[in-house]
Amino acid sequence: MKDTTAVAVPESAEKWEIQLRKGSLELAILASLWDGTLYGLEILRHLEDSSDLVVVEGTVYPLLSRLRSLGLVTSEWVESDSGHPRKYYRLTAAGRQRAREMARVWAQFSASMTSLLAPLKKELRKENP
Amino acid sequence: MTDPETQKTIDTYLTALRKQLRELMEEDATDIVEEIRAHILDKTSSGSSPEKVSATLAALGTPEELASRYRTEELLRRAQLTRSPLVSLRSLLHWATLSFTGIVVFIVSVFGYAVGGALVIFAALKAAFPRATGLWKTVYPDGSWGLSLSFSNGTPPNGQELLGWWVLPIGLFFGVGLLFFTFRFGTWSIRKFWRPRTWPQPDGPTNLSCVGGV
Repeated sequence: MKDTTAVAVPESAEKWEIQLRKGSLELAILASLWDGTLYGLEILRHLEDSSDLVVVEGTVYPLLSRLRSLGLVTSEWVESDSGHPRKYYRLTAAGRQRAREMARVWAQFSASMTSLLAPLKKELRKENP
Repeated sequence: MTDPETQKTIDTYLTALRKQLRELMEEDATDIVEEIRAHILDKTSSGSSPEKVSATLAALGTPEELASRYRTEELLRRAQLTRSPLVSLRSLLHWATLSFTGIVVFIVSVFGYAVGGALVIFAALKAAFPRATGLWKTVYPDGSWGLSLSFSNGTPPNGQELLGWWVLPIGLFFGVGLLFFTFRFGTWSIRKFWRPRTWPQPDGPTNLSCVGGV
């Protein structure tokens, strides 16, 4: 069986956008934990408040679980005033390293795309002045 | 959480989720259910109207959807770390329900375990019933002949027994060897062909696909 991590071309721009958002969520979560520990719902709120990422709640928790099993984050149950404990996440050294690498790739990629998209930008400006 | 009706809705959801996660290790499943419980409680803490609870549960997906996002990743991760052939085989079975590669790896594994196990059992039978167990060469009246590795309870089959006591070490050696390699084959296949999806997604299009993936 050949390893073909082939990327199928999405049928519509909308599907492509979904794919793009989903692909960037891992980095978004790691980044939101950069400054300290947060629990699941805080991460979700942080993502919603500081970006226009539309986050499906049922996908963030399994992703956090995976990041934990990969050793990129650790978690800890902490008692709260609300009467139930909450599971707080924290970046590990490996998680920090991963976030740094991903952010670097992201910045390069984004810069390349921006310069590639320069001609289209003029086009867009003409359409909506 | 004062309204018993909404409390019941939440409990039903969590019980269903728990049931769907039964393939996972006990503590992992408990951890997940407790985290989701905390999420629901936090989301609905400011006035838990039935609508709010339904909306919260809907955003999480059905218990089946939510569990499946956890399950696949978790099972296959565990299969790579486990030393138990049973855990490995169960994970392979789960993989087989997801992709063609999984089916092939599962069938090869079942075959390997069956033959390996049979050889080991055969060696044990030789120790217990030396006269009735062996590799027999039977010559038929028309001159053709056949080999059979057999255990006959009672009179030994007609023909010549070829290996004698060698059946025992040879059976053990190849049997255990085959079991070992089958196990390694399973974990190797998962490492080689299973690409964990960064985004487990039962909903929406799966565009980042790979052979062996979904």
